[in-house]
Amino acid sequence: MTTTSCRTTGQSYYESNALKRITSLLDPGSFHEIIRPEEKISSPHLRILGQPCSFNDGIIVGAGRLAGKKVLIAGQEGGFMGGAVGEVHGAKLTGLLQRATEEGPDGVLLLLESGGVRLHEANAGLIAVSEIIRSVLAARVAGVPVIGLIGGVYGCFGGMGIVARCCNALIISEEGRMGLSGPEVIETTMGVEEFDASDRALVWRTVGGKHRYLIGEVQRLVDDDVAAFRAAAIELLNDPRPLSLEELQKEHGMLSDRLKSCGSAYDAIDIWHTMGIAEPETLPLLDTAAFHKAVQHVYRGAA
Amino acid sequence: MALHSCDTLAQNRQARLGRARTITGGKLLRPEQVTELLEAIIEPGDRVCLEGNNQKQADFLARCLSRVNPENVHDLHLVQSVVALSEHIELFERGIARRLDFSFSGPQGGRMAKLVGSGTIQIGAIHTYLELFSRYFIDLTPRVSLIAAQAADAAGNLYTGPNTEDTPVIAEATAFKNGIVIAQVNKIMDEVPRVDIPADWVDFVVESPKPHYIEPLFTRDPAQISEIQVLMAMMVIKGIYAEYGVQRLNHGIGFDSAAIELLLPTYAESLGLKGKICSYWALNPHPTMIPAIESGFVKSIHSFGSELGMEAYIARRPDIFFTGADGSMRSNRALCQAAGHYACDLFIGSTLQIDLAGNSSTATIDRITGFGGAANMGADARGRRHVSPTWLKAGQEAQGRNSSMPRGRKLVVQLVETFREHMQPAFVEELDAWQLMEKTGMDIPPVMIYGDDVSHIVTEEGIANLLLCRNEEEREQAIRGVAGYTPVGIARSRSAVENLRDRGIIKRPEDLGIDKRLATRDLLAARSIKELVRWSGGMYDPPRRFRNW
Repeated sequence: MTTTSCRTTGQSYYESNALKRITSLLDPGSFHEIIRPEEKISSPHLRILGQPCSFNDGIIVGAGRLAGKKVLIAGQEGGFMGGAVGEVHGAKLTGLLQRATEEGPDGVLLLLESGGVRLHEANAGLIAVSEIIRSVLAARVAGVPVIGLIGGVYGCFGGMGIVARCCNALIISEEGRMGLSGPEVIETTMGVEEFDASDRALVWRTVGGKHRYLIGEVQRLVDDDVAAFRAAAIELLNDPRPLSLEELQKEHGMLSDRLKSCGSAYDAIDIWHTMGIAEPETLPLLDTAAFHKAVQHVYRGAA
Repeated sequence: MALHSCDTLAQNRQARLGRARTITGGKLLRPEQVTELLEAIIEPGDRVCLEGNNQKQADFLARCLSRVNPENVHDLHLVQSVVALSEHIELFERGIARRLDFSFSGPQGGRMAKLVGSGTIQIGAIHTYLELFSRYFIDLTPRVSLIAAQAADAAGNLYTGPNTEDTPVIAEATAFKNGIVIAQVNKIMDEVPRVDIPADWVDFVVESPKPHYIEPLFTRDPAQISEIQVLMAMMVIKGIYAEYGVQRLNHGIGFDSAAIELLLPTYAESLGLKGKICSYWALNPHPTMIPAIESGFVKSIHSFGSELGMEAYIARRPDIFFTGADGSMRSNRALCQAAGHYACDLFIGSTLQIDLAGNSSTATIDRITGFGGAANMGADARGRRHVSPTWLKAGQEAQGRNSSMPRGRKLVVQLVETFREHMQPAFVEELDAWQLMEKTGMDIPPVMIYGDDVSHIVTEEGIANLLLCRNEEEREQAIRGVAGYTPVGIARSRSAVENLRDRGIIKRPEDLGIDKRLATRDLLAARSIKELVRWSGGMYDPPRRFRNW
């Protein structure tokens, strides 16, 4: 056995911060940040509440190149308030997407890591999320593909979960998690009998990357390796699907089919079993390559 | 001397067994008979050993004992490794037990401090494991021992499985001094896989309603190792393991030492150290050792106990671990403690507080936690006579040039960040142990490792080599010199510390040729529990709470 054979080689996406993800994802030296931290544009709300603030308000936005193509890019910083969206944070992202609509780059990459709206900023955060959604759709209508990447510690939940599903395509790692309400929120509102957020295995097989991939919500499942995310992003940029009525109908078709076939399933494992996977309980432990091999005969692709 | 006074213990044993016969004719008990049997067998004032340490617990027997009538069974003297269960404390609260000699009390430390304060528990002494086991054969021999095993056959042969731990030493001390041994087992089998305790050492066996509890105490999730810990691990590997050629060693529990284990196949291998360091271990089967084992770093590991989830992996690696004819591991706490004390050249572990003389303690004011095994591992073996290059080099450094009698010594390394949890400084002018002594009426403060046994202190600031210090002042400045921004560190003499650095007594990462920027989690051979499972070829089966699958 060689030294690193059991580990995802290279740089862990999960463990990197936003800046490290951006700089190692893009072509070396190509990243130019817009609204740099030395401008100290931070949240006015947090300051009033006496909370610590961040000079980038938990998001880095800018421009760079991916395999030579011109892209705009944003990275949410999970290390600051779990990547939660406040007014400034949201405005930076909305501004980047509006710029994409105007300038028409080859694509926009959104490195999503967020628990959703920053509760301290309440309405301002909620409005920001709706503006982000509108500008994602506007960029897509303008023919600019928007690709979401999910593989950070805090996952992608709440309003940003909605934003994710508005993208052209999503890339996720096994460690990545995506959903609307996060596990703790479901437990708090519906009770522990409905969802035990402390059961890590349950959490991952419900909102984790493998399940999201299997049920057709993300286009690529990759290793927790920045290079793997990069390779998948390059591929997806070359294959932009426009926002069209046909695409939307396909999506709706997928959702109603899912409700029919899996509406009564109690656990993700039941769904995998229904899909025709022979030993569904073994899926969570498989590494990405073995996983793809195990599911290729049933995987129908993402809508 | 009159003949009858020579065998009072044997007569007393027969009297106890006679009383037991009213309850059961044979060795096998039903669970509901146990409390009644304990009342029949145990006499007021008896010394009783309730097996339990930081891993396996005779929890069913403890519960039965806590339910006896205190009018019949009272004033017991408990002599046991660990006070871990709520039932252990209830024995004192109900007046069943009064006196206690023990070694460690992790989770019950707070309750215990209160009961000692109110006089409900009278502590004889707090021991190290090896010390307490030794006293079982001198002046603390149990009259009745309640032990735990995996399985028994109808004759009473016990199979203790991978978690043999303390059972042999307790059973031997009791059975061969006319005491009574009662075992709880997870199941009764026609034939046990192997005999760990022979039937004629065992008087009664009960199949407990639930398997005995085992704590996965040595599992550290690599996801929680910090980059500071990676940096400290790099310094230990390059500045101590490579420097002294450390081949035989013991690691304490903690994320600091787990980081070292996970750096062996990556950083240590890149320095060409495979085969030159870390070949032989006295160590529990830490899951974080799997990558080093699979990379061929490790030749042998003898263990105090097992670790939940490691059973199948251990069974497939009999070249590395000690396993029985049945294939499963045999651990033995007493023998492994002796091995760690006499046959290892290095101990490394963390602590909560270190004073200016290098004394370290895990005591805090409101908790009595005790010592366990670290004090034996982390002490120079004064009775050691065999030579190894590591031991000799350490001895030469400690003695300086002007010694007429060459002698080696053990490397005892304390590995701490300058600030621990909640920004509590790890370096202090006075240990909290002094206040605990005052409060609980102990004769001496509970010191885990004495300063004169410590050879090195490693923090994120560097390594202080205390062997090379020639007087108290140098020692104090060496400690201050790696104590960072703690009040103790800030009060250093800048010139004295620079002088110590020039003489190589303090080494900073850059003095060791370590680039701090390279100290990232990417150096860890595994960054999650799942990666450990993959390293093990799927044979490591971690407990549920450590899984996200």
